[in-house]
Amino acid sequence: MGSRGLLLLKGAAPKHHIFNNTKGSIFSSKMPTRYYYYDYDYNNRTRNCSTTTTRSSLEPPDVPRLAQTARISLTPHEVEEFAPKIRQVIDWFGQLQDVDLDSVDPALRADSETGYLREDIPKTFKNRESMIAAVPSYDEPYIKVPKVLNKE
Amino acid sequence: MASFLFRTIQSHSFLLCPTTLLRRNNGAFYCSMKSTHTQTATQEKQQPPPKIKSSPQGNQAKTRTLDRISKEYEAIIGIETHVQLSTLTKAFCTCPYNYGAQPNTSVCPICMGLPGALPVVNSKVVEFAVKLGLALNCKLSFNSKFDRKQYFYPDLPKGYQISQFDIPIATGGYLDVDLPVEYGGGHRRFGITRVHMEEDAGKLLHADDGEYSQEITFPIIYALQVDLNRAGVPLLEIVSEPDMRTGLEAAEYAAELQRLVRYLGVSNGNMQEGSLRCDVNVSIRPVGQSKFGTKVEIKNLNSFSSINRAIDFEIARQALLYSQGKADQIVQETRLWEEGSQKTVTMRKKEGLADYRYFPEPDLPEVILNKEYVDSIQSSLPELPEMKRRRYEEMGLSMQDVLFLANDINVARFFDATIGKGADVKLAANWIMGDIAAHMKNEKLTINEIKLSAAELAELIASIKGATISGKIGKEILFELMAKGGTVNGIIKEKDLVQANPSEIEKMVDKVFSENPKQLEQYRGGKTKLQGFFAGQVMKISKGKANPGLLNKILLEKLNAKS
Repeated sequence: MGSRGLLLLKGAAPKHHIFNNTKGSIFSSKMPTRYYYYDYDYNNRTRNCSTTTTRSSLEPPDVPRLAQTARISLTPHEVEEFAPKIRQVIDWFGQLQDVDLDSVDPALRADSETGYLREDIPKTFKNRESMIAAVPSYDEPYIKVPKVLNKE
Repeated sequence: MASFLFRTIQSHSFLLCPTTLLRRNNGAFYCSMKSTHTQTATQEKQQPPPKIKSSPQGNQAKTRTLDRISKEYEAIIGIETHVQLSTLTKAFCTCPYNYGAQPNTSVCPICMGLPGALPVVNSKVVEFAVKLGLALNCKLSFNSKFDRKQYFYPDLPKGYQISQFDIPIATGGYLDVDLPVEYGGGHRRFGITRVHMEEDAGKLLHADDGEYSQEITFPIIYALQVDLNRAGVPLLEIVSEPDMRTGLEAAEYAAELQRLVRYLGVSNGNMQEGSLRCDVNVSIRPVGQSKFGTKVEIKNLNSFSSINRAIDFEIARQALLYSQGKADQIVQETRLWEEGSQKTVTMRKKEGLADYRYFPEPDLPEVILNKEYVDSIQSSLPELPEMKRRRYEEMGLSMQDVLFLANDINVARFFDATIGKGADVKLAANWIMGDIAAHMKNEKLTINEIKLSAAELAELIASIKGATISGKIGKEILFELMAKGGTVNGIIKEKDLVQANPSEIEKMVDKVFSENPKQLEQYRGGKTKLQGFFAGQVMKISKGKANPGLLNKILLEKLNAKS
């Protein structure tokens, strides 16, 4: 939670990555950890995990497009640097796809823990002030955010 | 007055054949009393609340245009409804949610999307989803899951919305709707594609203070204000099949959904507060064409009447483009309904489908239901609006009455409680729809706020029916009960309102005769019109406590006896 993408690729990115999130991020400037994101088309790929897809059928990543959907800016040099690393991750999925699952029922989850539901009992978070203090631009009582520039 | 006359006729007939068919006459008398109430009450009967404004008579030119359009084109309408659940806490955290609370007070690391915070599902959300799924006659998914829907918008702190994508909790149901009588009536069944659980986003306000929005001295223009109180509040999204054909059908579908969630107690269904939000999809095609036209989405529909009018406007707009050979100008887009100009306007054009990059929410386990759980919810479901309407219909109430009484769960409960105490069904309906509804409207009260209880209404009806008090006195008592409370018997005793018995009436008639010998002579001399004068005099000295039918009967007997 709190991460904005699908796969957290720690260490797969250069240290001086520019996090240029102009849309939506409220906490970008004060985030304690730096995250790097990579999106993965879940529907077209992992949903068909029981089919016998071979490794080579997975398309190579379109890094500029991925960066754009995650609202991050990459330099051409970074794109070049990322591509093989992301490719590597996709290949891992390729290996998973190779596993024959024809005789296995699809699972929604790896585990099926029970008793995970919570009672509907209100409890106010005690440390609200420090959260609000961490908001980059706060104008009592609202959080101020950049105007949305609709690209479409 | 009409009732007075009616009674007179009844007592005449009683006199004309005094010995025959006493039973039948008793029956007739009883019936006449009943119809007297019906008449007095119906005269003031409130029209059912104009849920969907745009009068059936008014705007005939528009109606004609719509008629013509409907002959040439068929509209296909589907609705997506978001219902905000009336849970005490948010969907995935324990923050309490209260509409209208001071902005950004009900927030925590989970709903603010802080790194490391983990969501935990509120059991009520699943329960309410199952309730609504069952009430909509859906098939439930015993194993479903949450997914992340990714998009960037300032009111969505996490950068994704927790929703359900490919396995919603409920699918394939339907909703039964009765169309209003004043629009021709009719019963419709609209398909429900799916119901799924998700979280709401925060509220985005446009700060128009000019402080930042005008000056462009800063690379980033801080021009939006965010309130995250609503972020993470549970919603159920209900997607209909594209089964609606007119704005009215769509508005009635939405009204029925509102009724349903209120009956179930899963949401307050308040459209003004945004607890029930409808987005409609409209496309038209020439009659006979099997291919669907381009669909347009309409947002910003804050009332049932705006749903109705926005759709009819949109159908007319698209039909005009078709008829001008400009069908290609109907593009897939989102349009906003503008209440001021009564038009839909382009909000954004869609360039292909948005890529939400759905994937399973890794922080939440599977949602597992079992048969026992579902059965227990099924058996705890209240009587739903459709069931109530069919039951009321079987009681012999008119469709107008049925729709009025079943429209508001509290009114329906009051009605049910009244007839539960043995009150006559039709009389109870008439009192509620007439004087009680008028009082509620004038005083801006709900039926739960008036001081009259269902038990007292039943008592009142019984007192009139049993001839303890007259209908006129009954009405006075009703107003006193609604305003101040108390009991029927208490007021009758306190104010000495018991209807005069025959011997008392006889005494009053004698008194009137002795005070007006001249008129009595004239009457007996053939001026029978004077009967009304005598009746009026007797009524006056009885202070309204004489039953008009009985009074006339006794009066006539006495007037004619000594001649």
